Amino acid sequence: MSAVRAIALALLATLAAGLGGCGGGDDAAKKPTATAPPPSPPAVRIGTKDFTEEDVLGELYAQALEARGFDVDLKRNVGSSEIIHQALDNGVLDMYPEYVGVLLSEVADVTMRPSSPDAAYRLAKAFEERNGFTMLAQTPFSDSNALAVKPSYAKRTGVRSIDDLKRASPRPRIGAPKEFQARFEGLVGLRRVYGIRKPRYRVLDFGERYAALDSGRVDVTVVLTTERQLSSRRYVILRDPRRLFASGHVAPVISRRVLQAHGPRFRQIVDAVSAKLTTDAMRAMNGAVDIDQRAPGDVAAEFLRRKGLL
Amino acid sequence: MVRGPRLFSLRAPKGSCTLRQRFRTRITTRVVALSAAASILLGLTLVLLIVAVTSQRDSARTAFRSQEALAAGSQLENAVITIENGLRGYVASGEKRLLQPVDDALRRYPGLQSTLSQLVSEEGGQRQRVRRIATMIDDYVGLWARPVIGLAGQSLDRARSQLLTNDTSTPEDTVSSRLDPIRSQFAELFKRERAVIDKRQHAAEQRSARAMGFGIGGLAFVLAVAAGLTLYLRRSIVRPVLTVADATGRLAAGDLATRVPAEREDELGDLAHGFNAMADSLARGRAELERSNAELTRSNAELEQFASVTSHDLQAPLTTISMYAELLERRRGSERDGDPDLVDGIREATQQARALIRDLLEYSRAGRGQLQLEEVPAGSIVEEALERLAGAIEHSRAQVEVGEMPVVLADRGNVCRVFQNLVGNAVKFTREQRPRVRIEAERHDGLWRFSVCDNGIGMNAEYAQRIFEPFQRLHGEEEYAGTGIGLAVCERIVDQHGGRIWVSSTPGEGSTFYFTLPAAERRRDARDEPAAARAGS
Repeated sequence: MSAVRAIALALLATLAAGLGGCGGGDDAAKKPTATAPPPSPPAVRIGTKDFTEEDVLGELYAQALEARGFDVDLKRNVGSSEIIHQALDNGVLDMYPEYVGVLLSEVADVTMRPSSPDAAYRLAKAFEERNGFTMLAQTPFSDSNALAVKPSYAKRTGVRSIDDLKRASPRPRIGAPKEFQARFEGLVGLRRVYGIRKPRYRVLDFGERYAALDSGRVDVTVVLTTERQLSSRRYVILRDPRRLFASGHVAPVISRRVLQAHGPRFRQIVDAVSAKLTTDAMRAMNGAVDIDQRAPGDVAAEFLRRKGLL
Repeated sequence: MVRGPRLFSLRAPKGSCTLRQRFRTRITTRVVALSAAASILLGLTLVLLIVAVTSQRDSARTAFRSQEALAAGSQLENAVITIENGLRGYVASGEKRLLQPVDDALRRYPGLQSTLSQLVSEEGGQRQRVRRIATMIDDYVGLWARPVIGLAGQSLDRARSQLLTNDTSTPEDTVSSRLDPIRSQFAELFKRERAVIDKRQHAAEQRSARAMGFGIGGLAFVLAVAAGLTLYLRRSIVRPVLTVADATGRLAAGDLATRVPAEREDELGDLAHGFNAMADSLARGRAELERSNAELTRSNAELEQFASVTSHDLQAPLTTISMYAELLERRRGSERDGDPDLVDGIREATQQARALIRDLLEYSRAGRGQLQLEEVPAGSIVEEALERLAGAIEHSRAQVEVGEMPVVLADRGNVCRVFQNLVGNAVKFTREQRPRVRIEAERHDGLWRFSVCDNGIGMNAEYAQRIFEPFQRLHGEEEYAGTGIGLAVCERIVDQHGGRIWVSSTPGEGSTFYFTLPAAERRRDARDEPAAARAGS
């Protein structure tokens, strides 16, 4: 019964489309200038945070959308989640790729750790939708924050998990990007969740974290789990038994008004890109940029072509 | 009246008229062409000057706009720095008052961006650079400054963490790291705009110098053209005209041999030809006049000679006839018994003929020949005249009164004849009553006016002129004797002395004859110019 109805509806739709097309064609032939084309919506302003993976993600979404005829204004290297979300709130940006866990803990101030990535996603999406935004589909890959040490340091101090840092002697020197100091997934969480008070903290540029660890300037640094440097076994990721660092799946946060203005195709394209972003794929692309020194745009274009999205 | 037609008749013959006409257009064409060329060159100079001045003004205006663009750019850059410093101060201290300059700058910067984009030059991609700067500032404000301020409103700690730097950074680096690209663009913008200003100022100076060059050159050129035209006009037109004017003056002074060169084949050539033709005409006229004058003089002399000779020669036979008539009367006086009237008739006719001939001779001599002028008391002349008329005066029992007489410069004999004739007439033309004659003299306008007044028969005013014509008589021979020559003789004599004679008379009451003679001192002054004196009288 339902199949019959579906076929009937499809036939009707096809007929209506055909008639509409013919009629439209006739009208167009008779009155070529009678109706002006609808005004195209303004360019979508996509922002990215200030590290490699965000650069690659921004390029992936922008190039895929541009390939389908959308105007995109990509604003690179805007800043941390705190800053870029303020820009989104202020209406300066329309969309940016965000980490679900970071969004919850640093923007939504949700320190409760959800039970699963999907739960975290739903919570984050609900938060955004209360403020006029929404989140598109989240990526298969998860890139969580984590703390890493050199194997030699772990061996010397016996530190295997974040909990061990509290007892490590001498007090560990933690190096991280500036926002780490005030974040829940940072010194705040370390103090509250793990009881690590007054660690020796050094601000590092995002790109110098591994070098600082290698040179011994710091003992611990914050890393992203999709970074290719971690696959070399030169670094040890500390276990997070109290789940300070939440889900690292990425989902684009977008203005609902903008999403509505650009129609369902927009969402389909973005979701299609997100669906292809596995952990391996992201690790490869991050490595291509960080280690192989390739341009994020080239790396993204190559991936999109390979996946048939460009 | 005579000159016009004569000059006209002396114009160039018709055959040369076409050629002359063709050349006549040459001087006009030359003047018109020179004027047109000078006007065009002057206009061209003015146009070049205007273009140069306008160009210089545009360059200066554009350079000024670039200066304004620099000022607007500096204000915009300062506004951005103010925003960055202000938000950092606010985030560091949490004091909201530090946001006041930030808010001001955030309000002002869009207007400054607009002003800068309007003022900046179009050269060297400056407009594009300003657009790029504007985009960068918009991104800085929208993606950094406002989010940081917003974040600070929620959590100063989080905001402060955004401003932290790594260990190797200095505070200056921190401030400038966000603004470095913008300030770098500003530096490039200013550098290029200054280059544009320098270039335009240089161009403005060059154009100013060019404008001054055009102005001075144009002025010198116009002066040179004016001087050239003046020299040309002086050489080609004024000098020939002055030559003709000088020749005209000499011609007017009597030098009829004056001629001007007439080689030119233009309007001035026509003028020279015309002048020469006029001079030829005048020379021919003078020669003709001199010939006529000589002929008239000769003819007059011959006539005078004829009259004189005739009068003289007629005297002799008349004297003979008169003498024979007297002899005939005397011889036959006692024995004649008839026809005594016939002899008397012969005698009277003979006497009349003799009187007529005498008077005719006198008239023909009067006013001729050289005057024997001398300073002489008029009283003595009158006295002599009255002596000559003594018989007639006595016969008519006339009463003659003579007033105070001056000294005059005159020919004594001739003037005596005038008084003699006038007093004689006064005594002769009387009525029954006793004649009364009054002779007076009166000084008038440098002349002496003599008057001879009588109480005679007078005359109508219509005869006042006629009586001075020879042989004019108002009365018959039988009424008053005379030949009608006396007053004509008087007029000739007075006229020769440079005077005038006229009469004022009323019929039945008498007549007064007036005549003028120059005073002695005046005559002395004008002795060398008797003709001029006559003309003046």
